[in-house]
Amino acid sequence: MNRATQPYIGFEEYSEHVPQSIPLAVQQATSRFVSGRAARVAELPQWEELRQIGSDIRQHTMENMDVYLTRLEAALQSAGGHVHWAEKAEDARRIVLQIAKEHNVKTAVKSKSMATEEIELNHALEAAGIQAIETDLGEYIIQLAGTGPSHIIVPAVHLKKEEIAALFSEKLDIHAPADPIELARIAREVLREKFLHAEMGISGGNFLIAETGTLVMVTNEGNGRMCTTMPDLHVAVVGIDKVVPDWESLTVFLKLLARSATGQKLSTYTQFITGPRRAEGEFGPEEFHLVLLDNGRSKILKDPVGRDVLKCIRCGACANVCPVYKNVGGFAYGSFISGPIGAILSPQMLGTQTARELPYASTLCGACADVCPVKIPIPTILRHLRRRVAQGDEFSALTVPVPIRVAAMFASIALAWNWIYRLGARLLPVINPFFRRNGWLSGMPYPLSRWTKVRPLPPFTARFRRWWNVRSAKWKDST
Amino acid sequence: MMINPVIENIRRSLGRTAQISSPQGTLLSLHPAICEPRLPKSVDSEIEYFLSEIKKLSGIGQRLSADKIADAVKILVSEHNIQKATIWDTPYLKQLGIADSLRSLGVELISPNANKHDMALCDLGITEADYLLPETGTLVLRSSVEKPRGVSLLPRIHLAVIRPEMLRADMHQVFAEAKDSRYLVFITGPSRTADIELTVTLGVHGPKNLYVWMIDG
Amino acid sequence: MSKAQLFITCLGDQFYTATLRNMTLLLERLGVELTFPAEQTCCGQPLFNNGFEEKTRPVAMNFMRAFSTSDAPIIAPSGSCVSMVKHHYPSLFNAGTPEHVLAVEIASRTFEFTEYLVNVLKITDVGAVYPHKVTYHASCHYLREMGLKTEAKTLLNAVKDLELVSLNEEETCCGFGGAFTVTYPEVSRSMMENKVNNIISSGADTVITCEPGCLMNVAGGLYKAGSKIRAMHIIDLLSSKEEPA
Repeated sequence: MNRATQPYIGFEEYSEHVPQSIPLAVQQATSRFVSGRAARVAELPQWEELRQIGSDIRQHTMENMDVYLTRLEAALQSAGGHVHWAEKAEDARRIVLQIAKEHNVKTAVKSKSMATEEIELNHALEAAGIQAIETDLGEYIIQLAGTGPSHIIVPAVHLKKEEIAALFSEKLDIHAPADPIELARIAREVLREKFLHAEMGISGGNFLIAETGTLVMVTNEGNGRMCTTMPDLHVAVVGIDKVVPDWESLTVFLKLLARSATGQKLSTYTQFITGPRRAEGEFGPEEFHLVLLDNGRSKILKDPVGRDVLKCIRCGACANVCPVYKNVGGFAYGSFISGPIGAILSPQMLGTQTARELPYASTLCGACADVCPVKIPIPTILRHLRRRVAQGDEFSALTVPVPIRVAAMFASIALAWNWIYRLGARLLPVINPFFRRNGWLSGMPYPLSRWTKVRPLPPFTARFRRWWNVRSAKWKDST
Repeated sequence: MMINPVIENIRRSLGRTAQISSPQGTLLSLHPAICEPRLPKSVDSEIEYFLSEIKKLSGIGQRLSADKIADAVKILVSEHNIQKATIWDTPYLKQLGIADSLRSLGVELISPNANKHDMALCDLGITEADYLLPETGTLVLRSSVEKPRGVSLLPRIHLAVIRPEMLRADMHQVFAEAKDSRYLVFITGPSRTADIELTVTLGVHGPKNLYVWMIDG
Repeated sequence: MSKAQLFITCLGDQFYTATLRNMTLLLERLGVELTFPAEQTCCGQPLFNNGFEEKTRPVAMNFMRAFSTSDAPIIAPSGSCVSMVKHHYPSLFNAGTPEHVLAVEIASRTFEFTEYLVNVLKITDVGAVYPHKVTYHASCHYLREMGLKTEAKTLLNAVKDLELVSLNEEETCCGFGGAFTVTYPEVSRSMMENKVNNIISSGADTVITCEPGCLMNVAGGLYKAGSKIRAMHIIDLLSSKEEPA
């Protein structure tokens, strides 16, 4: 994610051109995760308490991020790990490439990492002649397909098994059957060779424990373990907002994460990695590098309202309940992160010029805030970012298009000067006969056409005030 | 002293003019809801709880006494056509004689310290577990030269031979004991994915079959 | 005798005269003496929700002036409008200013209609009769911002001969979202169609909502889908004395 190179995110345009297959597929995933989550939440009577504690721990950590990151660095270094600080995306890419070059890396196997998607690491590696292979099955599929993720947790859910079979057949030069179990077996075989021969494993991280310098990875397939166990070199790229003070605090997030994401009690594999392997003859990498990624997070920290976005633990629960997301899928959000969290993160990372449409990609229904395991007040932040777009604030000048600004000005005047409003209310019914059909108004001119092209408008019938006045006059007469 | 631009950015954003070494405000990790310990009823109920969770995860768990192990090994080997196996070199597993049972069935034993390429050819990997978490059916494994990570990862079948004394009430206990490990893995069922049309598939990159033998009596 | 002021909402004013009449007559029948401050226009929610906070202030000032000549409670047939006044008006003004003091005071006495009936007047049965299969759409701000989880169904369950059937995805947004309908009309369409399909498959002949905005959207959507299902505001149902055929 790079402010300089990121193209404008046209949510309206993208959302209007979504093939129907995508929301259908996404909805199957989301409904499964929603019912799974509900079952797990029902098992934990202290769920609401855990959410509050999770939110409080994240708040405390944010307010002391410098202290905890410094502790993390010291702890990891004494465990023999290398720590690098990447202020911008290009710094992170440069650091990873440097490490790869020093170790003569030809092939890197990658575990699922949104941070590496954020910095577009794969492009940089490929450009340097290094083969970077995604090993998480969903990520592997979309890498072969050359597309982005449609869902945070199951990125390839929009593809049918027939499409995936065709993809494997073409890219791997084999005959792949349209059967999920067979396709997974093929991926296992192909990727196993890569795991065993790759010189470098690249991962992200779900949490970083400052107390001991420990990287925590939450995965299901085993590729996370393979990437961090088989190659001699492990590089982890992790956002600075992933730091957690200590192991006790971590228990809260481990209780919240898998339940919120997929409805599992715990994911299949949770790894706790503190530096490289201890002794010769042990499995695991000889060298471990942690690249701490800032890329705008420290700047977001300055905004007391917007910075709650840094509490996110990337579970995807918000997307699973968002009616907007479920009707458009992940691509419409124009970046590696979608759904409600994407709508509040992208504008803060990329700015409210590039991402000015995203804070409005919501009806403010609030379903997301109800399920966020760390109680991020997403609708509050959406309104906050809408203010940034519409009127500007200390972080950015306004970016709202002029016609909308003018319309808002007229609306403000008409609604504040009540004689204008009341006059308008009495005059509007005049237009009814021109558009009335079967008791509804349809085919209205711009801008009301944006309403009537979807469903008709009721006729303008502002008669309450007159009714009230007539009634009051009658009473006055009779008393 | 090198100026770390990221830390400087953070400090500036938080309105801090000077470096501080201790966090401000209290961390709520002493909050009752976090450290309230879980009080298990009895060892027996914990074992049953653990095994029922394993079953829910499509793992195969059973309780057996040490003298029944040889038979169980025989069944496992024939059911899954085990040709090569690798086993942790621990005193307890040696005591149980599993390696000998395997050898007597014609299974080739690969050293647990073999390189990854050789170990990748194994059908079966046998480990113990350092801790067990009944609520989630989780096996907790540390890593060392005697207990290599690859044994529970590379073969398509993972057999964990466990004992009641590994049981812990909850994560808090495990962390209190094991936080200084250089490597720890929580294994909660066999490897799985739902990435293709949400169809659950086991054994993607990690083991497809997880067997858990609780040795008591 | 209770006193209250009618906050008719801009959508109610433009499109739902009958509902407002019913609200007036129903509250009076329940013993509430009503006044109607004619200077009211709109709570300002469409401007506020779209980030035009500065432009909302004069609109809020007009509202507060209109409703401060009396200190009687303010009642509206809309959870979102009430939420705007209760939860957002104070944030529009700097703490310590007279406007802020007024906003806090007004916020404390503004109620949504079902909230006022059930939680303030403690009335759950208004003697309504409606022999139909009815389903209920839980509007987002009514449900989540106002926290009104049971009031509507309590009132519906007391209606004679009414059979309440469940609505699949009852709490899912219908796609109105105020200006959202004209900002992203196609996404709004998908959400509306989803809600309409759920209403049709509920088997009800009537769908009830407590929000004029949702009502406009859903009623229009049902018409567009060729459905004969009636969409009504809860107030209109509670005013019904329809005898079985």
